[in-house]
Amino acid sequence: MLGFDLGKYRTIVISIALFLVLDLGVLVLNFVISSEIDKDAVNINLAGRQRMLSQRMAKTALQVEARAVQSVPFEKEAEELQAAHSTFDSTLNAFIAGGATLSGAGSEIRIDRIDDAKAQAILGEARALWTPFSTQVRALGDKGTATPEAAATLARQAENVNLGLLKLMNDLTTRSEQLSSDKATTLRLVQVGGITLATVNFLIILFHFLRHLRESDRLVERAKRETDNILRTTQEGLFLLDDRFAIGSQHSRALGGIIGTEQLAEQDFLGILRPMVTQKTLDTTREYIELLFKPEIKEKLVGSLNPLSHVEIHQAHGAGETSTRYLQFGFNRVRDESRITHLLVTANDITRRVKLEQELKATEERARGQMGMLVEILQVDPSDMHRFLQAANEGLHHINGQLMDQSGGKTEQKINAIYRITHRLKGDAGALGLSILAEPFHELEEVLSGLRGRSNVSGEDFLPVTVQLKALFEQLETVGSAVNRIGQVRGVVTVEPPRPRVETAETPPRVVGLWQSFAMQIAERQQRKVELIYSGIDLERLAPVLQDSVNGIVTQFLRNSVVHGIESPAERRQRGKPEAGRIAVYVSQRDDGGADLSFRDDGQGLSIAKLRDAAVRAGKLTAEEAATLDQRRIVALIFEPGISTRETADEDAGRGAGLDVVKDMITTLGGTVRIGSTPGEYCHFRVSLPAQPEQLLAA
Amino acid sequence: MKKLMIADDSNIVRSKIARALGQHGLHIVGLAANGREALELFKSARPEVVTMDLTMPEMDGIECIRKIRALDPRVRILVVSALSDKATAIQALKEGAQGFLDKPFTEAELSDAIGELLEDSNHG
Repeated sequence: MLGFDLGKYRTIVISIALFLVLDLGVLVLNFVISSEIDKDAVNINLAGRQRMLSQRMAKTALQVEARAVQSVPFEKEAEELQAAHSTFDSTLNAFIAGGATLSGAGSEIRIDRIDDAKAQAILGEARALWTPFSTQVRALGDKGTATPEAAATLARQAENVNLGLLKLMNDLTTRSEQLSSDKATTLRLVQVGGITLATVNFLIILFHFLRHLRESDRLVERAKRETDNILRTTQEGLFLLDDRFAIGSQHSRALGGIIGTEQLAEQDFLGILRPMVTQKTLDTTREYIELLFKPEIKEKLVGSLNPLSHVEIHQAHGAGETSTRYLQFGFNRVRDESRITHLLVTANDITRRVKLEQELKATEERARGQMGMLVEILQVDPSDMHRFLQAANEGLHHINGQLMDQSGGKTEQKINAIYRITHRLKGDAGALGLSILAEPFHELEEVLSGLRGRSNVSGEDFLPVTVQLKALFEQLETVGSAVNRIGQVRGVVTVEPPRPRVETAETPPRVVGLWQSFAMQIAERQQRKVELIYSGIDLERLAPVLQDSVNGIVTQFLRNSVVHGIESPAERRQRGKPEAGRIAVYVSQRDDGGADLSFRDDGQGLSIAKLRDAAVRAGKLTAEEAATLDQRRIVALIFEPGISTRETADEDAGRGAGLDVVKDMITTLGGTVRIGSTPGEYCHFRVSLPAQPEQLLAA
Repeated sequence: MKKLMIADDSNIVRSKIARALGQHGLHIVGLAANGREALELFKSARPEVVTMDLTMPEMDGIECIRKIRALDPRVRILVVSALSDKATAIQALKEGAQGFLDKPFTEAELSDAIGELLEDSNHG
């Protein structure tokens, strides 16, 4: 309503306003009453003068009488009488009705009517007495002559009037003094009242203030106690940092222990860091903190740039012993309204965590090995992978060319060119999730970072680059050959491959009988019924190494089919299939002396969902990865060791050793395998094995 | 729908960002393979959001950020780069980028970062 809110100052403002009004009131009253008292003093004076004038008129009237008896002119006396008369008359009139009269000094003054009934009564009497005498005096005039009788009459009248007027003017003086005294009393009352009220007001203000002061002191005390408790108890180093890098006046007790220095309050944070970190880290820290004070920078999007997220510090403990600790500083903006006033800094000693992580990483790296590489490769889209390998290969050769180039040219440009290639390839490897390559590229990049910006780089400085480049070539080759091998397995995992030409079977080879009894045994254990039909060549026509392989492959396929593929007789009936599962095996000889094997069962086919679950259960993939991996690659998982859709292990299945062995056999022979499957209907493996070197030698 | 430009010298990274952010409701108006291209594209397409790699041939990301900001101080720039050198990334932010995303990143991380980058640009 006032246009602004007085808030907590409302009481004090009202109190002060009251005080001013009170003061002003007293002042005004004081002034009015004082001026009244002044007027009363003037009246008292004038009443005294009236007495004097009355006496003078009586005396002059007697002198006039004496002259008149002696017949001597009395102009001087007459004049004096007229003057006294005039002054007395005007003063009396002024007392009664207000008006002008002469002051003692002869100047004209204005006085107010005396506003008091008693005084007016006295003045009324005085006028009654005065008016007849006044008429006589006026009649005498100022001629200076009169008959002795007339003069005697005037003299007698003057004597009488004088006595009356003296008494009345005396009464007037007394009354005026009385009035003045009353006013003085009022004035004192006003002053005492005013001072009393002002004092009371002051006391109220004082009381109010003290109460508020005590209340806010209490709150401040409590807040401070709580803050102290927090700062004393927390295990983190906590403090506020301002935009001039100064630590606040308070910090948690733990901070001293973490940083290793007491006396931190109000110190320069960068100064404290200086002995612990490199100059570069220190400079970066300064810039990072400056960035955090800029409101346009997104706090959440710069957290990863914190140069103090992992600070390694070395401390000496006398006797040449040193220890390494790791500290972590975190920064959070503190805002007041929208302004960033401070950063809340948290400091932690993360030595234990870092050491644990290091151990864990080392263990992981040992464990990861080949399998990790394969999983990483499997997750990359084959065409992306192909493009990347090509680009990486070209890039490495380009770098090699730069290193070999002795034709001069600026070293700096050379380093920058190498750095850019390395950086891009590292980024690509990272984007594809190939940490096996991203890491060595990162190491090369680190080496190059060290060379960049150095003014004098000698040939020897390139040695670590060469070493790292060689390591990269090797790693790239390893990945490349793994990709090739996987490619052979993954090949084209497609829809149903064309059915093989059915050749009239020759007499069933001896080995087929073994397969049949093998299948029966498993079927019995698994409560299944199966029927194995073989068509194709006599295996003995194949080279011995291929015979063994085909035999091994078929037995694994048989086990897989009976355990995972063929349904129970009841289930098969429900699906309208014959109770006995039908397994068709066909082997033919390739023109080059190699062998083609077709293995098909009419079971439930491959379940993508089950394979996904199995891969997650075996820890090959995370649930997320499994959900996003495409179908073809899921199917390829059946060739991974440790993958089994069976949740419990028994003699025949569930530990996941089976098809991974098949894959190893095939890849060792340089062969390929294709899978076709329709859920609920069939699963079909087609294996192609090339002729083997021993074979060629033997031939 | 905000206009987006992607500047990265890797085709793989460019398509990864494009795939992720196309679904995020951004309209891709430019794919640049180096700083010079980025600047050219910026002048013609005037994107409101830019993802910027720092290490690129022809013109590096920092110089490109400086020039782009000179053309349009309101543009939102997310630096998407490998964190090999924090000082360089901080330099990029000092030149006017508002956020940083470390490579490699997941689609979710990229999506979150863009969300954060655009958070108050709608009413600011």
